[in-house]
Amino acid sequence: MEQDAQLVQQCLQGDGSAWEELVRRHTRRIFNICYRFTGNRTEAEDLSQEVFLRVYRTLASYRSAHGGFATWMTSVTRNLLIDHYRRTRRDRITDSLDDAMPVVENKQSSARRPDELALLGELSSQIQAGLTKLSPELREAVILRDLQQLEYAEIQQVLSVPEGTVKSRINRGRIELARILQQMGVRPS
Amino acid sequence: MNWTCEQTEARLGDYLDGLLQPSERAALEAHVAQDCERCAPLLSSVTQLVGHLHGMDELEAPPRLVYNILDKTLGPRDAVVAAPGFFGWLKGMGLPRFAYGALSLSATFLMLASASGFNWRHPKLADLQPTTIARNADRQAHLVFARSAKFVSDLRVVYEIQTRLRQDNNELPTSNEDAVPSNAPDQTPGRTDRSKPGGPNQQNRATSVDRSLQVLASTFISRACLSRVPLFTGSLTSGALSSGILSLGSGSGRRNR
Repeated sequence: MEQDAQLVQQCLQGDGSAWEELVRRHTRRIFNICYRFTGNRTEAEDLSQEVFLRVYRTLASYRSAHGGFATWMTSVTRNLLIDHYRRTRRDRITDSLDDAMPVVENKQSSARRPDELALLGELSSQIQAGLTKLSPELREAVILRDLQQLEYAEIQQVLSVPEGTVKSRINRGRIELARILQQMGVRPS
Repeated sequence: MNWTCEQTEARLGDYLDGLLQPSERAALEAHVAQDCERCAPLLSSVTQLVGHLHGMDELEAPPRLVYNILDKTLGPRDAVVAAPGFFGWLKGMGLPRFAYGALSLSATFLMLASASGFNWRHPKLADLQPTTIARNADRQAHLVFARSAKFVSDLRVVYEIQTRLRQDNNELPTSNEDAVPSNAPDQTPGRTDRSKPGGPNQQNRATSVDRSLQVLASTFISRACLSRVPLFTGSLTSGALSSGILSLGSGSGRRNR
C-alpha cells in the first residue's frame, strides 16, 4: 500500500515509469473484477482500459489518508461497472428475449470463443454464469467479498454503504446465487 | 436460545464469516442439527458455494491489456514502442533455426572467400575487387587441377612399381625351385641337420629385394622433391610410396618366414 502511494506521488510528478508500474500491479485484479461482473472477456478488457483511463485522469484527487490506492481503484471500477450496467440495460433486455428462444441461444453459444467454451465446461464457469444473473448490488458484494476477498470495512468504503448493508448484501447474494445454481442444476461439491 | 429459520437465513453470512457469538453459533448449529428441512440444505449449499468461490483462481489478464492501457493513458510511446518496432526483427535471431542458418551461411562464405584466394592474415580491400576475386579463383582452380593431375600420375607410377615388384616376387620361388633338382634329396650330402638348404638363400634374396626397393623409393622421392610439385603432393606421394614399399617389404618378409 505504501509503495502504491509512493508510485502515485511519482506519477503526479510526471514519472511515466511509475504509472507503468502501477498499471502492471493492478491490471490483473481490475480485469478480474470486470470479468466477474460482466462475464465477458472483451467487455472486461474494454472496461479495464476505461478504469485506468479514469484513474489516470483523476489521480490528483486520490488522498492516501482516505484509504489504500487499491480500495480507491476498486471504488472507481465499481462506479464504472454500475454505469456500464445501466448503459447496457436495454441490450440485456433484448438478450433476455433472445434467451427465451432456444434456437437463438444455441447459435449464440456456438459462436463463443473456444477458450470461453472450455471455461463453460467447468463448475467455475457455471458459477460465473450464475453470478451474472444476480442483481448488480448483490453481485458486486459477492465478488468483492468471496472472489476478491476484501474485508468488510474495505467493501463498505468501496460501496459507500453502512456495514450492516454490506453484510446483508453479501448474505443475500450468497443465498440467491446458491438458489440460482440449484435452478441451473449445478451442485457445488 | 430459541433459533428460527428466518434467523438462520439472516445470519448465515455472519456464521460463515465467523462473526456470530458463541451462543448464537451453538443455537444455529443445534437448529440445523434438528434436521430442519429448510435450513440444513440451505446451510449445506451456501457453505459449499462459498468454499468454491474462495477456491476460484484469478484469471490471467490478456498480455496486450497492459500495453493498451499504457497507450491510452501515456499515449503511443516513441521510446518504448518504436524501438521494439524497429528492432523487432532482431527477436528472431535468438532462435536455433536462425543460428544454424547463420552458421552454415558464414561457413559457406568463408569457404568461398578462401577459395577465391582471400588472405585472412593480411586482409586487403583490393582482394575483394571482382577482378581480383575472379583472377584468384581461376588461379586456385588451375592449381587444384594441376595438383590433382600430379597426384593421379604419381599414384599410377606407384601402382606400376608395385605391380612389377609383385611379378618379380612371384617369379622368385619358381627360379629357386628350379635351382634345386626335383629329384634331388632334401638333405645335401654331408649335411647332418634336417634344415632345408633353400632357406638362407631365400632370406638373402628377400633382403636384397627390400634394399633395392628402398633405393628406388629414395630416388623417386628425391626426384619428386626436386621437381616443382607442391609440397603436400610430394609428401603425399612419398608417403604413399614409402607405405607401398613397406607393405611390399613386410609382405615378402612374411612370405619368407
